[in-house]
Amino acid sequence: MKFGKVLFYTRFGEMAFNCLEAVLELKHAGLKEVVLTHVIPQEDVAFVPYGGYLKEEAERIEETSRIRFGEWQKTIAENGVDSKIRIEVGGTNAAIMDIADEERVDLIVTGRKKRTLLEKVYVGSHILDLLRRSTVPILMAKYMVHYETDDEEFTRVNDHIFVRPLLATDWSEPSQRARDALSAFKGVAEKVLIAHVIGAKISKGLDQEALTALRVESEKRLEAYCQKIELDGLAAESHLAVGRTVAEILKISREHKATMIVLGRTGKDWFNEYWLGGVSHRIAELSELPVLIIP
Amino acid sequence: MRHRYTLLILVLLGLIIIGWPALATDQHSESTQPAELTENKSNANGGGDGRTGHATDTAPTGEHDTAADQTGHGHLELGTLLPLWSCIPFVCMLLSIAFFPLVAPEFWHHHFGKISAFWAALMALPFLFVYRGSALYEILHIILADYVPFIILLWSLYTVSGGILLRGTLRGAPIVNTGMLIIGTILASWMGTTGAAMLLIRPFLRANSYRKSRTFMVVFFIFLVANIGGSLTPLGDPPLFLGFLHGVSFFWTFNILPHMVLVAVLLLIIYFILDTYFYRKEGATPPDDGAKEPLKLEGTYNFLFLAGIVGSVLMSGIVDWGEINTLGVHRAVQDWARDGLLITMGILSLVATPIQLREDNDFTWFPIIEVAYLFVGIFITMIPCLLILQAGSHGALGFLVKLVVEPFHYFWVTGTLSAFLDNAPTYLTFFNTALGSFYAGLTEAQAVPLLMTENAIYLKAISAGAVFFGACSYIGNAPNFMVRSIAEEAGTPMPSFFGYILKYTLVFLIPCFVVVTFVFFL
Repeated sequence: MKFGKVLFYTRFGEMAFNCLEAVLELKHAGLKEVVLTHVIPQEDVAFVPYGGYLKEEAERIEETSRIRFGEWQKTIAENGVDSKIRIEVGGTNAAIMDIADEERVDLIVTGRKKRTLLEKVYVGSHILDLLRRSTVPILMAKYMVHYETDDEEFTRVNDHIFVRPLLATDWSEPSQRARDALSAFKGVAEKVLIAHVIGAKISKGLDQEALTALRVESEKRLEAYCQKIELDGLAAESHLAVGRTVAEILKISREHKATMIVLGRTGKDWFNEYWLGGVSHRIAELSELPVLIIP
Repeated sequence: MRHRYTLLILVLLGLIIIGWPALATDQHSESTQPAELTENKSNANGGGDGRTGHATDTAPTGEHDTAADQTGHGHLELGTLLPLWSCIPFVCMLLSIAFFPLVAPEFWHHHFGKISAFWAALMALPFLFVYRGSALYEILHIILADYVPFIILLWSLYTVSGGILLRGTLRGAPIVNTGMLIIGTILASWMGTTGAAMLLIRPFLRANSYRKSRTFMVVFFIFLVANIGGSLTPLGDPPLFLGFLHGVSFFWTFNILPHMVLVAVLLLIIYFILDTYFYRKEGATPPDDGAKEPLKLEGTYNFLFLAGIVGSVLMSGIVDWGEINTLGVHRAVQDWARDGLLITMGILSLVATPIQLREDNDFTWFPIIEVAYLFVGIFITMIPCLLILQAGSHGALGFLVKLVVEPFHYFWVTGTLSAFLDNAPTYLTFFNTALGSFYAGLTEAQAVPLLMTENAIYLKAISAGAVFFGACSYIGNAPNFMVRSIAEEAGTPMPSFFGYILKYTLVFLIPCFVVVTFVFFL
């Protein structure tokens, strides 16, 4: 697998260009083309109440975006990568997925939106929706992140995001696909970290003997994952933890200096994903690291 | 968007904070109780609000003045007290809708919620300050009895119809186009003009994308599907639903069938001639772009939910389950049940319809949110106007009530104002004018059945005027601007505000309305 063609979606936030530069490191792993994408939200220019369509405004935004992308294209070209510009008016997610489909991209890169409490509870961000529905791997890039752990505040800059990817696996089929996708980082990743968490719910009802058996079985599987990755030409190391899945994955990512978290998309149904959130979505939301979701 | 929510919530909270203590005081102080609250209480005891369409009051025929004296109708008294200038916020609200999209569309697009809240507050705060509990009652009444069901119906129709998608390759020849317009015109009365327009406009535009002259097609689409087609049921067009909420029976609107058929046939004939002319002139041939996708209607289970909406509205007009008091406003139980069922239909549609299908339909919540924001302002600001008109010749607009006397007056005055102001509040305004003219002093529940029977021609004139003339400009009816927006986004050039009126309304619509006047209202 290679990420040869990448759709880079942006709303031109402050760190968007830095984020693009970080993604360009994939050139060492076979990146050939970047599709620079901006979607003008339909509600910004259409359905003016009792008016109509703000054609001039749409054209102005499109032209402004084109100028900005023009600058970015210079940097992309300097890195020996091709690029093209796609600017559309429409529903953001639908447009991103349509463009991804038309352009046959291997990876979608998107920033993240700060969510209000109300959105967290009831709405869900458009990123969450993309993560849930996309048939293409999605990298939720986070260039500069302010986060809090152990009552201390930190700022993290994610500029070399592919160096130490952490694959969090639950042995599911999506996890195996995520493992296979890691081969795309050959040439840019120094070491792949493989982590598995024996969930608190599972370990709670087990006696010592059963827990030991589970640990041994998990270590065996982790070893098999590592061997597979090493066969793909990447160094790998495994980590096993017990406890609350999301918290443990975040902990491992910090302790072992991961630069990105890679997950298979959990196969929960729409209702569960939307209201309760799967592990992948919770991590995408809570981690200070970029998160790659493999469908 | 969050700011708008906050602003509206603050305004509503402000209204309640200012008015509530007064209402509480009034309720506990018999000596200072305004007449309208006495009347509210008597309604509560007697089991009727007297202004709710489905109230249980029965109307004594004749002796209207005597009845008025006996009931001592407090609301009508407020209508005699209010000065004409209390209508200024309502006029400003409607003028904002008319002119901001023309002169400052971007400003309007980003701030219409604040503008709506501003006019609402400008009316409501002094109104509450002066009339205290009575004012709060009026505001709560119009919100609970008119605005809430109005928005719920629009939301449910919009949500359900947005889950139906017409796919397939259509080639826009005159017969096909005319057929689509006929189908849209028929559907409009059952899924709302907004629903029918949203269902068909994109397939209509796609079918004609190879044609050079497309503008007139979209304009006739607005005429027929987004307006005139909606005149047969309260589901069709918002003004008729407001009439239903105020006691006009569900099937009464079928009385407008002859008027609607006449206008629709005239317009369809004109359309067919125009389309045939341009089709031949262009010599356009459909592009041969490979495989033709067969016509296919997806999300058809949403028709079940549409049937549920129709059934719910019908039910609320038939059964009588008594009333409940909500914040001092008496509403029929069946009305609340209807609103609950409509919400359920919308939610079922949302759950049952794949997101992908809605996205392919370019479904977005934005238009319905806009309508919700604007109409809360419209409904609050229109309170004084409605009360004054209900007071008939005793109110500050008595001169207007005296001027508008003949059916054709109602048709043209309601119509002309509907063309430039939104047709829903205009309908309600002249509906009240008619009630004030013929049945001043009677409660609405007493007067509306009489208006539907003794003076049906006036109600027909008001209904037809409000629905038909909504097609006269982009601002006459909400779907007009949605269709315009979608057409422009799809690359179909649309006429300017005045271009639409000069090139199409005056040329095609107005002559049809003149024919309707001669046939039905003279």
